[in-house]
Amino acid sequence: MASSSEQEPRGMFECQLCGLTVPYSYVGQKPPNTRTVVLLEECYVLKDPFSSDKDKFLILGSQCSLCSKLVCVGPECSLFYSKRFCLPCVRENLSAFPQEIRQDVEKRHALSKTGSRKLASRT
Amino acid sequence: MASSRRAEGRGRWDWGCPETRSRLEEVFFGNQDIIRRGSEDCRRFWAFFERLQTFQKPKPGPAAKQLAEGPRCPALAGLPATYDPRYRINLALLSGEGEPGLGARGQLPRDQLAEFRRAVLHYLDFGQKQSFGKLAKLQRERAALPVARYRGHLLQALREHQVVVVAGDTGCGKSTQVPQYLLAAGFSHVACTQPRRIACISLAKRVGFESLNQYGSQVGYQIRFESTRSPATGIVFLTEGLLLRQIQREPGLPQYQVLIVDEVHERHLHSDFLLGVLRRLLPARPDLKLVLMSATINISLFSSYFSCAPVVQVPGRLFPISVIYQPIAKEEVPTSRAERLDPRPFLRVLQAIDHKYPPEERGDLLVFLSGMAEIGAVLEAFQPYAAHTKRWVVLPLHSALSIADQDKVFDMPPPGVRKCILSTNIAETSVTIDGVRFVLDSGKVKEMSFDPKAKLQRLQEFWISRASAEQRKGRAGRTGPGVCYRLYAESDYDAFAPYPVPEIQRVALDALVLQMKSMGLGDPRGFPFIEPPPAASLETAIVYLRDQGALDASEHLTPIGTLLSQLPVDVVIGKILILGCMFDLVEPVLTMAAALSVQSPFVRSAQSNLECGTARKPLESDHGDPFTLLNAFNAWVQVKSDRSANSRKWCRRRGLEEHRMYEIANLRQQFKGLLQDHGLLAEARAVPGDSYSRQQRHRQRRELYQLKRQHEEGEGRKRKVLRLEALDGGSSSGEDAEASGSQAGGGAHRMDIQDVKFKLRHDVDQLQAAASSAQDLSRDQLALLKLVLGRGLYPQLAAPDQFNSCRKDSDQFFHTQSKQGAVLHPTCVFANNPDLLQGGQAEAQEKSLDRRDGPSGQHQLLAFVSLLETNKPYLVNCVRLPALQALLLFSRSLDTNGDCSCLVADGWLQLQLEGSEGATQLLSAALRLRARWEEALDHQLARQAQPRGEDGAAAAPKTERKAAAALGRDLLDFMRSKVSYSIHRLTALEAQNLYVGPQTITAAPQLPGLFGEAALTPNETKGGYTVTSFLTYNCLMSDADLYSDCLRTFWSCPHCGLYMPFTPLERMSHESSCPAAPDKDAHGEQEGGGPARGGGCLGLPGQPIRPSCGATSAQLSAHLLSLARGQRGGGGGRQPPGVHSAAGLPL
Ligand SMILES: [Zn+2]
Ligand SMILES: [Zn+2]
Repeated sequence: MASSSEQEPRGMFECQLCGLTVPYSYVGQKPPNTRTVVLLEECYVLKDPFSSDKDKFLILGSQCSLCSKLVCVGPECSLFYSKRFCLPCVRENLSAFPQEIRQDVEKRHALSKTGSRKLASRT
Repeated sequence: MASSRRAEGRGRWDWGCPETRSRLEEVFFGNQDIIRRGSEDCRRFWAFFERLQTFQKPKPGPAAKQLAEGPRCPALAGLPATYDPRYRINLALLSGEGEPGLGARGQLPRDQLAEFRRAVLHYLDFGQKQSFGKLAKLQRERAALPVARYRGHLLQALREHQVVVVAGDTGCGKSTQVPQYLLAAGFSHVACTQPRRIACISLAKRVGFESLNQYGSQVGYQIRFESTRSPATGIVFLTEGLLLRQIQREPGLPQYQVLIVDEVHERHLHSDFLLGVLRRLLPARPDLKLVLMSATINISLFSSYFSCAPVVQVPGRLFPISVIYQPIAKEEVPTSRAERLDPRPFLRVLQAIDHKYPPEERGDLLVFLSGMAEIGAVLEAFQPYAAHTKRWVVLPLHSALSIADQDKVFDMPPPGVRKCILSTNIAETSVTIDGVRFVLDSGKVKEMSFDPKAKLQRLQEFWISRASAEQRKGRAGRTGPGVCYRLYAESDYDAFAPYPVPEIQRVALDALVLQMKSMGLGDPRGFPFIEPPPAASLETAIVYLRDQGALDASEHLTPIGTLLSQLPVDVVIGKILILGCMFDLVEPVLTMAAALSVQSPFVRSAQSNLECGTARKPLESDHGDPFTLLNAFNAWVQVKSDRSANSRKWCRRRGLEEHRMYEIANLRQQFKGLLQDHGLLAEARAVPGDSYSRQQRHRQRRELYQLKRQHEEGEGRKRKVLRLEALDGGSSSGEDAEASGSQAGGGAHRMDIQDVKFKLRHDVDQLQAAASSAQDLSRDQLALLKLVLGRGLYPQLAAPDQFNSCRKDSDQFFHTQSKQGAVLHPTCVFANNPDLLQGGQAEAQEKSLDRRDGPSGQHQLLAFVSLLETNKPYLVNCVRLPALQALLLFSRSLDTNGDCSCLVADGWLQLQLEGSEGATQLLSAALRLRARWEEALDHQLARQAQPRGEDGAAAAPKTERKAAAALGRDLLDFMRSKVSYSIHRLTALEAQNLYVGPQTITAAPQLPGLFGEAALTPNETKGGYTVTSFLTYNCLMSDADLYSDCLRTFWSCPHCGLYMPFTPLERMSHESSCPAAPDKDAHGEQEGGGPARGGGCLGLPGQPIRPSCGATSAQLSAHLLSLARGQRGGGGGRQPPGVHSAAGLPL
């Protein structure tokens, strides 16, 4: 009953920065089963596993427009500002980005530090 | 509120205006769009939208800031010069494209449309971030589990070996991760067994979620009544019992590539057996992989059982736990079994915790006690303390609690208050409660033990094993460092057994042996169990199955045994089902069999509640517990079929656990299917019904499905906060929980998901029809039902003690053949109405006060479903039966004296009948009925063994049904026969000197051809003659045969007119073969409503006996006759003239 509409995984998406590994079911700019949404970059996409709706999708990541690394959309790995940039590339070219992005990157940096400290204290 | 917010002309723009919203939804949230009108998603969007509005309002407008520096590389050249949050969204929306020019209805200004579009994009982006965050968190958590580091090691080992053992303690993640590792590594068709059904469901859910397959079909479960399995399923979680059934059907298990047997250290009967079966299977399936998962207990046992399989050992994630030994002082140890447990040592631990740890430091207490009584005693002592200090909420936890009460242990205590859970060993492995910091271990456990000699299950208290003690301790260290108080000395601990006794060594093995036989595993005595059960238990099981007719003398499965092995129920219950099919009693029998196979729906604590008692009264049946259960279920179904009625409330009023009712409904449906599958029951044809009602039903189902889906989407019981005040003073739970529940759930529209599932699974109208037909059972049907139950339950019979009528209600004693002094369970209807069982005794009392077991026609026996020993041996689920008739029809051994006035059933109950004529008539009638019943059963079983017809329905042929109906009527007549008799339980001495012993006469008397050729054999141990497999004639030490000759009186046959002296035996023999008898085909004639329906089949003295046809019964009576002669000949008695001619009756 479900198998025909289920999107078979086409391979594994692996973030080259954090190592997150998740099966993906589509690469491109028009996720299957959705007619009114397009993506502004070539994305690795998975059917949203947390929704029963079959046309809900989840973007996993894409290539950094500068270094071409495959990165996930997680805030520790990349950001989107009209194009995808991995955080290392953003930091390298920080001055090319507007103030808002710069602040955001600094905030993320601080957050991820406390986050990892928390994790370390637990184990 | 919405009405006040109208769009006010062209002036102010109002996003809240319903018309505006509706227009926007029309444009953006159509059927093709990602958000659809009216959906949950749409509702969430508007909530998001409102938040977005308030968040954006104070914004001063885009501040255009030029970038200070020019871009360094060409890829950065195209970056927007002015920052806008919309550049951060990698989605674009096509909906509403081109709409702004929307002519006549174009009330949506361009700016607002653009703003709305941005809002939708933000919402979608927000959704992406949320889902991705969830996904990333999930992956992080999985990677952080201790087992994650052993993934490669495990997969490597499994590639090189057929069997691998994974050993790791609770919390290491093996149960959820190993199946996923296998699937990710390319294995498919993975089955993972669990000892408990509930674990199958929760693991399937968890693993489905973790493997991002929550809404897919890759991960499923399969339990007794439910399956979420499909061809796409890669991992299925199922119970051990179910996998065994699959092996039974397909011994090679071709449907699986990998089997994971989880929790093998728990050593359940099924899991031990499964391991044995798999060990045999593996050589035949070299491609099949087997993973055993265990706690770090006795790992070498499992590894060596599978020729030194490699072990992957995963350390658990446990925080340090300090152990404090506080052995109980001598004066506080209960001296006798009856004495209650002294709660003082437990209370001191509570005080110590309060003393030592400030209330702000959270952490709950888990107390391990041996049983419900102990929990009750400690609860009683803790509650005043908790009420006084306001620092504790005390909750019991054991399997007899209602589901809702069990669930409370997962709720949160209010701040500054600790939860104290008083639990049986259920919390040792089965139930995991978070937040436990303190463990208090009594060191005791109550476990079932099985006494093969008495075939008695006993619930006894034992010291736990060291492994259990460690398991209990570990519960304190799951979320942080913990403390474990042990109410025993370290030296006690050292003296504990290393491991708990495996289940196979302490339970009855009937079902196991039956299953082994049906799987063709040969002699169970030689089966290579991982640790063999006691030989005596196996022997008892084999003898029991032989007694029950499931195995023949050479221990092969009989047809009925084959059938029983396929019914997933107790042997006796299976027998009842099969027997019930014959007499058109299927509906009530299905219900009873199901009700007797689940835990009692009657809530224990409601026992003392007066209101409950009154409300329950109309459900009670004076025939016995199975009938009360039948009434309760049927009444419940009636409530269910009334759409306006609230069945939950109805149950609560009567102290019934509704969950059990659902289980009964499911189980009876499963039984029905099984009986249909085996051709014992014709499949019901779908009632055609008109198209309107069909549509109606269809619509109802659609609504129900929708409700179910809604429930599943909003799933997850939210943890409630426990209320302090509701919990002290014994907690009246029911009403309270309901009231607070509906508050939390938000009012009247709280859906009962159980009800929805029930109505989806069952055709309520059909159930209701069955229930109301059962409510109108006639007296005859009731009596027949009792007979079916009695025959199924035999030899589980108990006789009332002869002095019961002089005792108080609560002091009634009963005796089984092997166990004396059993008592009734307090819920039993006879416990409160003992006079129901004393018909005979009361009558006798009037006649002679000194003999309570004196002559009467009313003596009753109890047939019971189980005998359970706790502090006393209890008879559980009893039916009363008329003693004499039951014994004549069921006894495996019946011994008589010369004139059959004295009978001994199964060597323990002696019946002294008044008047040998009535006695012999009754006996011969019983012989015929038994033969006919056997024959009818054989037909029935032969039919089920045949391949099914094309139409699938294997209805009994008409003649067979007629014969069964006639048999039913004759059985009822037999039950009604009135003979006065006394009943007496033989003393050991009497039993020893019961038989005359082997006689010197060797030649059995042989009558000329007339009565068949069967030769009578003298019984070589008891003396007398073997008449049938169960009847031995004239073997009792008795002086009655002195008078046997005097019993011959002149009699004229009403059919052929023969007139001559007969003994009663001779007379019956003549009648059964008299060629002039009008109803050679008795059943057929009676069917037509003949005049003499039941015309005293076994009549009252003086009435002619109406023999039923069939060579068997005629032969049996002939045997009796010839026996009577033989005895005379051997005994050298005086023979009146003319007797021989009686044998030469005209043909
Ligand atoms: Zn990443
Ligand atoms: Zn980059």
